[in-house]
Amino acid sequence: MPVHIFFSLLTFCMMSAAVTAQASLKLPETVKVDPAALTGEPMCDPIISAAWREAQEIDGVKIEASPGCSPDNPAWIAAAVKGTNNISMDTLMKTGLSPDAIIKTDDLDGDGDPDRIIIKLEIMELNGKTPDFPGVLPTFDIAPGIQPGAWVFAPKMSGMSTENFESIRANPLLRLPSPVIRVEVGDIVQIVLENTHYFPHSIHLHGVDHPFSHGEHGGQDGVPQTSEVELMPGERRIYQFQARQPGTMFYHCHVQTHTHLAMGLAGMIIVEENRPNNWLQTLNIGAGHVRHPSVAVREQFDQEYDLHYHAMDKQLGEIIQKHNDPRLIARDMNRRYDITDSTEDYFTLNGLSFPYTLRESLIIVEPDQKIKLRLLNSGGEQIAVHTHGHHATITHYDGVEHNPMAQIMRDVFDIAPAQRLDLKLETVNDGKHSYGEGDWLIHDHREKGITTDGMAEGGSMSSIVYTSYLGKDGMPKVSHFGIDLNKYFTKEYFERRLPIWQDLDEWASLGSPGERTGLDTATQNLLLNVLYGLLAGLLIYLIFSRWGQIKQSATAAIARLKSPKGSNQ
Amino acid sequence: MAKTTTIIFLLAGILAFNTHATAQQQDKSSEQEKQDHSGHDMDQDKHDHSGHSISTKTGPAVDHAGEHSADDDHGHDHDIDHSTHDTHAMDHGDMHHHHHMDDDHIMDHEGTMIMGQNLDKLPSSCQSISEEVEITVRAGRKYSAKFPGTAFAFDQQQWHVKPCSKVTWHFINEDSIRHQFMMHGLPKYLYKYGMFHLEVTGPKTVSGTIIVPGSDDTYLVHCDISHHMEKGMKAQLVVGKGGKDIPSIPGLTPYNVTDRYEAEDLPKVSNKSSDKTEKDLLTLEMTNFSDPDLKNYGIMLISALIGLFLIPLFKKIPLHKKND
Ligand SMILES: [Cu+2]
Ligand SMILES: [Cu+2]
Repeated sequence: MPVHIFFSLLTFCMMSAAVTAQASLKLPETVKVDPAALTGEPMCDPIISAAWREAQEIDGVKIEASPGCSPDNPAWIAAAVKGTNNISMDTLMKTGLSPDAIIKTDDLDGDGDPDRIIIKLEIMELNGKTPDFPGVLPTFDIAPGIQPGAWVFAPKMSGMSTENFESIRANPLLRLPSPVIRVEVGDIVQIVLENTHYFPHSIHLHGVDHPFSHGEHGGQDGVPQTSEVELMPGERRIYQFQARQPGTMFYHCHVQTHTHLAMGLAGMIIVEENRPNNWLQTLNIGAGHVRHPSVAVREQFDQEYDLHYHAMDKQLGEIIQKHNDPRLIARDMNRRYDITDSTEDYFTLNGLSFPYTLRESLIIVEPDQKIKLRLLNSGGEQIAVHTHGHHATITHYDGVEHNPMAQIMRDVFDIAPAQRLDLKLETVNDGKHSYGEGDWLIHDHREKGITTDGMAEGGSMSSIVYTSYLGKDGMPKVSHFGIDLNKYFTKEYFERRLPIWQDLDEWASLGSPGERTGLDTATQNLLLNVLYGLLAGLLIYLIFSRWGQIKQSATAAIARLKSPKGSNQ
Repeated sequence: MAKTTTIIFLLAGILAFNTHATAQQQDKSSEQEKQDHSGHDMDQDKHDHSGHSISTKTGPAVDHAGEHSADDDHGHDHDIDHSTHDTHAMDHGDMHHHHHMDDDHIMDHEGTMIMGQNLDKLPSSCQSISEEVEITVRAGRKYSAKFPGTAFAFDQQQWHVKPCSKVTWHFINEDSIRHQFMMHGLPKYLYKYGMFHLEVTGPKTVSGTIIVPGSDDTYLVHCDISHHMEKGMKAQLVVGKGGKDIPSIPGLTPYNVTDRYEAEDLPKVSNKSSDKTEKDLLTLEMTNFSDPDLKNYGIMLISALIGLFLIPLFKKIPLHKKND
């Protein structure tokens, strides 16, 4: 047997032993993500003018201050209160609304406010596929970089669907959620649906006192199986009602409801008590803070907020991002999508998820205030909203007042799908109503409710913030606790590429481990096995090819062994 | 034997597909010719109603009573609009007086809009106006019927004008919702943002005029309401010999990003002979390929099958040699 084979075998063994020893000495270094590598965005959207936060008066409409980062455009509020037919052209141009979006006329009962209300709604797609480039438009982010395909009822607008013609970002009027509608008991209301979308749709006025059928307009319960045929693209339909009862109600599309509702065709509709001079903010675009509350609400409360909770299935929204052909979208949505196999992935409050909820859905309070909160759950599952630091009183279920003697206080509010709750939040520091000032979380206590596509922090969580905890830019002031919210305002966070605990200590003890420089155990074993196999093969080859030699030397050896024996004998 | 039959069927399928595609193209061009004629007829009807300013009548400027079942609703809606003016004594008699934002932007109380109109400013590339033309454009869901897979469309997808011509557009929206006629890429020194824009809630007409530049070019025309362009409401204006074609115009230019199609197992009336059904299914699958991607996949599939069929043949050759 050749000696060099033995040598090589020895070398291999020594080398592999060395490799094993070296690799197990040290684990990989931590790789820390440099903040400069992140596509961060300002916490507060700079597009929005700080002047919008101030209390002001436009065209005679008083608008309350709204110190959050992204308050509603005051021009929207003026137009919603007076009607687009009664505001100045200058104000109208600042809204982007069509001049016939909200028409208010005829003080029928002579109490100083208009009683004929026409509200025109269109249906718009957000984040849908285009045949022109790979990507979606018009874009609407519910959190940084998160763009679920969605449909909304939108106030009738004028001009472009994007911010401007160089942008693919949606016009601010085109957004989730569908706008909150406010009308008064006794108003003759016409909701005119102009179906600008490529699918059939309808409106169902859930909880609102409306006749099943209207003499002039036909069936109007919105249900294609009972009251009316689907409203086709390009068509319009009028839903007319004169509500006799007030309350927080719900409107949504009732065509293929299991998908259309989840896609975003759902909004709050509030019937306010009839009072003199009750000029209502007919639309609260984007929901949230009501900056021109009704007379009845102002009598009892210091502030009012509309809180619309919604949930969306990622796979459902992706259908409109996968296909452009409406027939393929219809096929996948109506016949292939199985809602019983679906899961909800995005949880939103007023159309947005954390951290964008901090921009426009903070409940900003002062001590000793009474705040009216109207909650709607338009998701597919029950939610359980928890108010940190506060117990609130449930005053109304599904728009109907609960017996005042029997009203209860809770800190978790379970809301079934389509259900509405009116809460009275009192910021009285007595250990029950409130534990005092702070930046108190308000969140869905199903733990997935604080996630976005299954990853925290996200979902519908927001805060009840006392003004002493509110920064100048309208964001919660928490930096004195060492908290930095900036990481949430990056795409990379939601792409799951930012180790969320890396900045908790200087050496990033819970950061991302780097790649192993040596070989890991599995690879080592694999390589060694390959090596042994090769050697074994070589050995076998040698044995076979030199069989004659081996045999010869073997016989010689045996002979040598034998011969001494023989000679001995 | 079975394999040979398959291949023959597949080849027959390809042939059938090609003839089908050619036939479709011919269909389209003849349809477009038809549309052209009807467009011109309407054109003459409309001149009285719509000049360079918008008719301020609240009633529909276009009478489509026969065609639109939604007209009742529309009529009622406008009644209420009338009461608006009565109660608040807003005078809409002279639209230019009340709603003239600036020279570039005219809008009435229903949102009918003319933006970027140019009646007299000659582009620097023009010595004089070459000709004055009037073009009627109809917009509506019904025009998407001839383009399967779309939802909205204009009645024509392409218009030709001479360089330096003065074009008056009569934009007739036949639906009961908003539509737009929006043109991009015009010279910015004459048109704000390089845009000319007509917008109207139908059924109604709006008219506006532009003077096109003196060079050959092709301009995008579309409706910018979310997903109207993506779902078919897209066209182009060709000035002179034109420039680069605009992509994804229904029936005219290919899509940049195409959808995937597959034949579905839909219920159908069964044929008598089962043999024939099989053959029909195969041809159907082949002829259903309507986008270039799928056509390519089909060809790939066929070649793969041919390849598979040939493998045993190749194998046989060396085998025979060895046997020899
Ligand atoms: Cu719907
Ligand atoms: Cu359109």
